[in-house]
Amino acid sequence: MAPPVAVSPLIKTARYSALIAGIIYGKKRYDHLKPIAAEERRIEEEEKKIKEEQDRIAKQLAEANEDTILK
Amino acid sequence: MAQAVQKLVAKVPSLIGAAVTYSKPRLATFWYYARVELVPPSPAEIPKAIEGASNLIKGFQTGRLGQTTVKDALRNGLVATEVLMWFYIGECIGKGGIIGYDV
Repeated sequence: MAPPVAVSPLIKTARYSALIAGIIYGKKRYDHLKPIAAEERRIEEEEKKIKEEQDRIAKQLAEANEDTILK
Repeated sequence: MAQAVQKLVAKVPSLIGAAVTYSKPRLATFWYYARVELVPPSPAEIPKAIEGASNLIKGFQTGRLGQTTVKDALRNGLVATEVLMWFYIGECIGKGGIIGYDV
């Protein structure tokens, strides 16, 4: 087996600082995106309810309209 | 169905034993290299790292970097890419998932 290579300190510091910077960036971005996604979900829920209500009304109208004695 | 599950559960200790026997030498090799190559820098090495970085900047200013061979440049590019990838691994750890943010 080849002996392990002595890695230069610059590369070692760069690697681990990149790792820590990545962890911090990931955490910050996650905390930033979470409320935005919750807000979007809430808006979608509301719009779905409104649309459901309208569909219900439209269905009732359609049923009422096709209620003829000619059937 | 129950019999198949029983047979599987009876085989688990031998499977674990086989996995351990398989992975022990490979773990040993990994540890042998990682103990030297993957350790974080000790506090004594940080000034050397800063010195290395300033050497790099000085080399760039004097134009010495224009004389690196293509082979050296490719090698340095690969090392730089590896350092960049550690950033993305850190981001995966920070966001708690591999693909995408779990919002």
